[in-house]
Formats: sequence, structure tokens, C-alpha cells
Amino acid sequence: MPDTVLVVGAGPTGLSAAAGIAAVGKKVVLVEKENILGGAPIISGYARLVPSGEWAKDAIGRMVGRVEANPAVTIHKNAKVAQLDGEAGRFTATLTNGQTISAGAIILGTGFTHFDSINKPEWGFGTFEDVVTTTQVEQMVAAGRIACPSDGRVPERVAILLCVGSRDRQIGREWCSKICCTVSTNLAMEIKELSPKTDVFIYYMDIRTFGLYEDKFYWKSQEEFKTKFVKARIAEVTRAPDGRLLLKGEDTLVKRPIVIPMDLVVHAIGMDPNLENPQIAKVFGVGLERHGFLDRGEHYTNTFSSTRRGIYVGGAALGPEDIDSSISHGLAMALRAVGDLGALDHQAA
Amino acid sequence: MTIHEKTLIDPDRLLTSDKLVVDGVDVSGQWNTMILPRTLKDYDPDFQNVIERYGGAENVHRCWQCGSCTNSCTMYALNTDFNPRYWIYLTLLGLKQELLKDRDIIWQCVSCNKCTNICPKDVRPEGVMKALAHWIEDEGYREKSHSSLFDEEFTRQCLDRGRIEDTELMTRFFRDTRQSLVALVRRGWLGVFVARMGKWPLLAEGHLAKFLARVPVAGPVRMLAHRLFKPRTQSWGRTGEVLRQYVQEQKEAAHA
Ligand SMILES: Cc1cc2nc3c(=O)[nH]c(=O)nc-3n(C[C@H](O)[C@H](O)[C@H](O)COP(=O)(O)OP(=O)(O)OC[C@H]3O[C@@H](n4cnc5c(N)ncnc54)[C@H](O)[C@@H]3O)c2cc1C
Ligand code: SF4
Ligand code: SF4
Ligand code: SF4
Repeated sequence: MPDTVLVVGAGPTGLSAAAGIAAVGKKVVLVEKENILGGAPIISGYARLVPSGEWAKDAIGRMVGRVEANPAVTIHKNAKVAQLDGEAGRFTATLTNGQTISAGAIILGTGFTHFDSINKPEWGFGTFEDVVTTTQVEQMVAAGRIACPSDGRVPERVAILLCVGSRDRQIGREWCSKICCTVSTNLAMEIKELSPKTDVFIYYMDIRTFGLYEDKFYWKSQEEFKTKFVKARIAEVTRAPDGRLLLKGEDTLVKRPIVIPMDLVVHAIGMDPNLENPQIAKVFGVGLERHGFLDRGEHYTNTFSSTRRGIYVGGAALGPEDIDSSISHGLAMALRAVGDLGALDHQAA
Repeated sequence: MTIHEKTLIDPDRLLTSDKLVVDGVDVSGQWNTMILPRTLKDYDPDFQNVIERYGGAENVHRCWQCGSCTNSCTMYALNTDFNPRYWIYLTLLGLKQELLKDRDIIWQCVSCNKCTNICPKDVRPEGVMKALAHWIEDEGYREKSHSSLFDEEFTRQCLDRGRIEDTELMTRFFRDTRQSLVALVRRGWLGVFVARMGKWPLLAEGHLAKFLARVPVAGPVRMLAHRLFKPRTQSWGRTGEVLRQYVQEQKEAAHA
């Protein structure tokens, strides 16, 4: 009977699952398609995380270090599962690097793909250099300087547009990406910290800084950092003769058209289903839900099950998710997977 | 004190008086103008259902007031009172009196569908504008619009004869909309239209033969004949009657 769990994806979800399994004395094979571990926060170079305020490279770096240092974890980077045979209790996975792995259970922590702003051309990304995404601003904050890509000047005014690539039937994205409101209010404060003279405006339809993120991010950003909140969904971003960007829209609260100059426009991009999900569904024989994320089974008593026995799904693979929740998913899945190994040992005896 | 932006206040809320006594104190001269507070007193939750029953407005309940329709709107660019988002809000809450204040502009939607293309909730605001305009006419809050009169005549001819006669359609349209053909040619858009066909200059320059050669003859003669004898599409039979009945049934079912 295999005493190994196969964990696919080394983001916060997979890293947490791997650490959990190893902690109770079972073996882990961790397969990651990139050449670095840590998932989106590391690959995309996020700055300080919400809600902890810790730098991503430190916080997620610790998660990576813990797994790398554990002899019970075998890591395959630059690899994916090419083929899966067998069933719950005795899976055999063939990796793209030629290795075969026997595993009793499988955990999918394959995460999400960032929304590509090119798909909303009216908001200027790809047309104007000074229209950027939250991931780019995360990288600016991490590098310690906020600047307009076009000429390197420090922006006087920054506009953050919420819900770019989320909550939009026109482009088939009928979900809220959950974390971008909080991330954006946090970025507004970070921008202000780096450049106190910069004014930051957030264009919103709703503010969804859920739970304890309300006062810590939304209120603080408004009250202490003087972020301005404007209730409007922008129609288009164009360029003024002087080279600045122009936001056009309707301020719904004053019922007036707005044409406001900005130096930097930031898209708060959403979380799409992992582009590879159709392929992942095929290889692992698991289902997709209607938005294209991986589907899950009954959650109350068959927690974090996929649609296939012996395979578990959690984190942003299931739908937009934040890091703290993803870590909890990972640990819960570790318990499920280890429980499966135990049950099978029991049967065999 | 003067009121700086009188234009922002509905006229029916402006009270002016030459002599004003408040609580026994004569304040004439200082306070000759009062503004009644604007208070929403009630909602008509059924109004949304009424509007949804018009074709095209089925999705009005989906609106979350983001304003994308308004800020992309062709008409809004010309007149900021033309505000689809606002009217949809009034529709959802059933604030009919507020809506009716704009009864004279709602019909101006040009059906460019920019709003429909941008709406993140797929409300299809263009259809809602059409539904509101129809409702306003159906309830008699406005005279029938030119386009409604045109539609009615067009549909009548289709159903009666399975075809339309352009001359009859246009003459009846001008009659129903009380427009004089002569005046339109001489001073109105029809004159401009004809001028743009580039035939008048020939006449002005004295090329009478050339002008006449370019004036269609056979067509107008045929039109005149059709105008007099009103031909029907072959084997049209009872088709029109059946269609008319079907349309009626559908309308009754939708608005029941
Ligand atoms: C701009 C932005 C800022 C954010 N900031 C925060 C924040 O401050 N705080 C917070 O809580 N959350 C934040 N989030 C959300 C956070 O990124 C996610 O919650 C988190 O990354 C989810 O972790 P995950 O492991 O499930 O997925 P991911 O981080 O996407 O990790 C998935 C991993 O699986 C790998 N993988 C994918 N497919 C395969 C495959 N077929 N085979 C092998 N490996 C595969 C990927 O390469 C990746 O390493 C932010 C999101 C965005 C978009
Ligand atoms: S979290 Fe906020 S910005 Fe992100 S999709 Fe939801 S409402 Fe929009
Ligand atoms: S279809 Fe009508 S409401 Fe919609 S954008 Fe065009 S003019 Fe405006
Ligand atoms: S764009 Fe759609 S959702 Fe937004 S206000 Fe207009 S109708 Fe409502």
C-alpha cells in the first residue's frame, strides 16, 4: 500500500498540504510546473500580503523553506502529471519528466490564472503604457518606487478600477474575485506611503472587503490615507493632448458625467480559472464546474473532495480564494488524504 | 437669500409668495421663496413587472446600477438628462412620477446598443428604453410617437395585403403625423434629401431634357396604379387575419 500522497501545484495550497502530510509522518511527492515554488505570490512578485502585512517573499518563502527542508517531501519542478492510472488507494502517475509515482491519494492545488486585461480593450491596457495591473503595482511597491512606465515620473493621481475581469457577463466572468477589493485598498495605502503627494482614487461598484478586512483595509485607507472612493464603472480610458490619461464615465452618485485626468490607471485584475483546467480535468478524470474552475463534491462530510474518489481539490483551483483560506484548505486536504491512506492500510490488514 | 441653481429644482417644488408669514412672524421681503422638500413616499414594486412584459426589457431586474450604460450612451453625450441607468433604477423601485418627468426624452434612444454591449449584467438597456417609451404611450402620458405611427401603418398594410405600398405608407404617415409634404419639400428635410440626389442643378442649369431623362417614370406610374388598386400578395387569403389574432393573443398573454 502506498504511503505517499501526490500533491500537484506548489502555491500556498499545495505547500500547506505538503507540510501537513509530512508532519504526520507520511511521504509527499510535490509536482510543480514552474521552476520555482510558492505559486502566484512568488511567481508574480507580490509585495506585502493582506492581511498580515508581511512581504510575500518572506511569508511564502517560509512555507517554501519548510517544505524544501523536509526529507519526507520529494520535489519535482518543471514537471506536470502526464498520465494517471489506477484508482483511489493505488494511483500511478507518470510525470512529464519520465518519472512514475505511486500514490494513495492526490491533492490538486493547481490554482488560478490572472485575468488578462487585454480582454477589456476599452480600459486602455496594452494601448497606453500608463495603464497597468495590480500585479505590476505590487512589483513597483516591492521595488520601493511608484512610477509611470511611460516616462518614469511619479504619478500625481492614480486611479484603481475595481472588478476588471470579474463580475462581467460580457466576457463570461460571473464571479467576484474576492480578494481584489482588499488588495486594492491596501495598494492605495502603500502607494500613499511611498509617495505622500500622490492622490489615489478607487472606482467601485461595491466594496467587498469582507469580514475583518473592513476596518483594517477599507476604512483605514479612506480615513487615514485619504483614498477617494468614487461610485462609477468607467466607460473608457483615453489620452489627453498633454499625454495624461483621461477617465470617462458617469459618477452615479452626483448623476454627472466625469472626464478626469490621471497619471496612472490600475486594473484590479480578477482570478480566472487556471487556463490548464480542461487539460487537468482530463488527465485526472475530475469535473469542472460551470465557470471553469475544478468542481467539488459534497462538502459537509466529504470535505474538499473532487468529483473523483481519492482526489482532493482546494485553494484557488476551486474558485477565487485568498491565501489564508488556501492554507486552511491545504491542511484540511492533508487530513483527508492521510485518512485515506490509513483506511486502506486498515482494509489490507 | 438667492437660490443659485434654480434649474436644479423641480418647478413644482418652488413656492414663491409676496407676503409670507411663518409662525406668526412676517418674513416678507426676506423669504419670498421656499423649496418643498423632496421626499420619496412610496414604491410600486409591480412596475418592474409591467415593464418586463414588454419585449426587450426582460432583464431589467438584473441591473446593479454601475452606470456603464449611461456613460457609454450616444444620447447622454448630447444631453446629460438622458440617463438610462437612472431610469432603470426608477423602474426597479417603481418611482413612476419621477420617471414621467423625463417622458419627453426617453423615446429619443437611437438604438445604437452601445449600452447593451457594455452592460456587465446583460440587462440590455436599449430594450428597456424601448419598453419605457412604449409604456409611456400606452398609458397615454404622451402622444403616439412618429415611429409608433409609422409602425402601425406598416403593420396594418402587411397584415391586410401581405405587402406594403411605399407611396401609401408615406402619404398616410405624413397625414397621421400632420406633416405637409409640400412644406417638407420646400423647407424641410425632404427638400434637402431630394437636393442631395443631385437632380435640381440640372434643372437650374437649363438641361430640361437631361433632367427629365433622369426622372423615373415607370416606377411612379406603377406606384400610382398600386395606390388605386391595392394589390395583395398572391394567395395571402386569411394569413393576415391569423397573424393579427396571434399577435393579439401574445400581447394579452404577456400583459395579463
Ligand atoms: C494581484 C493579486 C494580489 C493578491 N494578493 C493577495 C494577498 O495580499 N493576500 C491574500 O490572501 N491573497 C492574495 N491574492 C490571492 C492569492 O494569490 C491566492 O489566494 C493564492 O495564490 C492561491 O493559492 P493556490 O496555491 O491555490 O494557487 P496559486 O498561487 O495559483 O498556485 C498554484 C500553483 O500550481 C502550479 N500549477 C498550476 N497548474 C499546474 C499543473 N498542471 N501542474 C503542476 N503545477 C501546476 C502553478 O504554477 C502554481 O505554482 C492576490 C491575488 C491577486 C490576483
Ligand atoms: S473583490 Fe472587489 S474588486 Fe474584486 S471582483 Fe469582488 S467586488 Fe470586484
Ligand atoms: S441604445 Fe439608446 S440607451 Fe443605449 S446607448 Fe444607444 S442611445 Fe443610449
Ligand atoms: S450597464 Fe447594465 S448593470 Fe450597469 S447600470 Fe446600466 S443596465 Fe444597470
